Amino acid sequence: MFGSSQLDSFSGGGFISSQGADPSRTSAKSRDSPPLLPLTVKQISQAIQSSDEKSNFVIDGVDVNNVRLVGMAYKKSERVTDVAFAIDDGTGRIECIRWVNDAVDSKEVEEVSDGMYVRVHGHLKGFQGKIQLVVFAIRPITDYNEVATHFLECIYVHHCYRKPQIQSGHSVSTPSQTDVPAAVSASSSGHNSNQFSGNLSIDGLKGIEKSVIDYLEQPSSLAQEKGIHRNEIAQQLKVPLEKIMDAVASLESEGLVYSTIDECHYKSTSA
Amino acid sequence: MDTSNPAVFVNAELLRLHMGRRVRAVIQVMRSDGGGTVTGQSTDGQQITVKGNPPGPLTTFVEVIGIADGIHSIRAEMWSNFGDTLDTFSYNRICLLANGDYKHLFI
Repeated sequence: MFGSSQLDSFSGGGFISSQGADPSRTSAKSRDSPPLLPLTVKQISQAIQSSDEKSNFVIDGVDVNNVRLVGMAYKKSERVTDVAFAIDDGTGRIECIRWVNDAVDSKEVEEVSDGMYVRVHGHLKGFQGKIQLVVFAIRPITDYNEVATHFLECIYVHHCYRKPQIQSGHSVSTPSQTDVPAAVSASSSGHNSNQFSGNLSIDGLKGIEKSVIDYLEQPSSLAQEKGIHRNEIAQQLKVPLEKIMDAVASLESEGLVYSTIDECHYKSTSA
Repeated sequence: MDTSNPAVFVNAELLRLHMGRRVRAVIQVMRSDGGGTVTGQSTDGQQITVKGNPPGPLTTFVEVIGIADGIHSIRAEMWSNFGDTLDTFSYNRICLLANGDYKHLFI
């Protein structure tokens, strides 16, 4: 439909961390949790409480830090140090609390009245078995296209995080073997699934990086203890050396390749 | 947190699938007679009737949330003025997606 290169460069409108979406490469460590997620209250109600101390909730397999909601404000009750209200976005209602520390905060909440469409940014908190939203920013909506746009973004982000999970079924079934004959079939079917996922999923690795890592994962490359010289990679892939160097630097920071006898020889870490 | 009473995004076509349930729709106001009925064009170009008295003057686009009580009619509980310009195509796409592949995010 859209070229996968278009989707790569779009990188989820800032909501998707661009390095973490390739299923065959992703391990928990390389998948950064997104800084902000647009969500519906229904999605929040389906969140799983994670045992991780850093964040409390997991949605679509991703640690949720900050969320954005668009909906109608209700039941606004102003107290001394905070303002409590509920947000109803049409999929459900969630209790929110906005701590008011200074005049700027109180001015912000003054503008909000019951039945008014607002956009809130906040952090999910579990409290007495319920999920609440601790709001750090609330703003009335003036252009109502924001309503449709927010829900489109919720759908898009959800789609992006779900796709790799569906696709990971392909790569998980390919076992990683250390002996050569199995490695041949593993790397070739791994290569196929990479091509397949390259077409359909949002791919964190660019084309050249993929070719480099694929070349380094061939059994002939893996068999060489001293690794492969980057000139050889450039020659074999028919790609200019600077591009190879960029690709290798990026793969190295991902932990996928390492340099061996000198800075020009590289090997894949998956050997 | 309460997800027991969602309002489904609908256009005129999808309204018939949610009879008796709480729905939300954006209409472009065509006629509003004083007797508690507003006729408008839904985001897919078809006409629907909204019963109820709006709380005040209406802008060109209005979102109504209420109960679907006919294949082309909604009994409104709430009215929100959406202004005089709105991208109905996007809103219509939301209606289709929220009733289709991404239903689980909404209802």
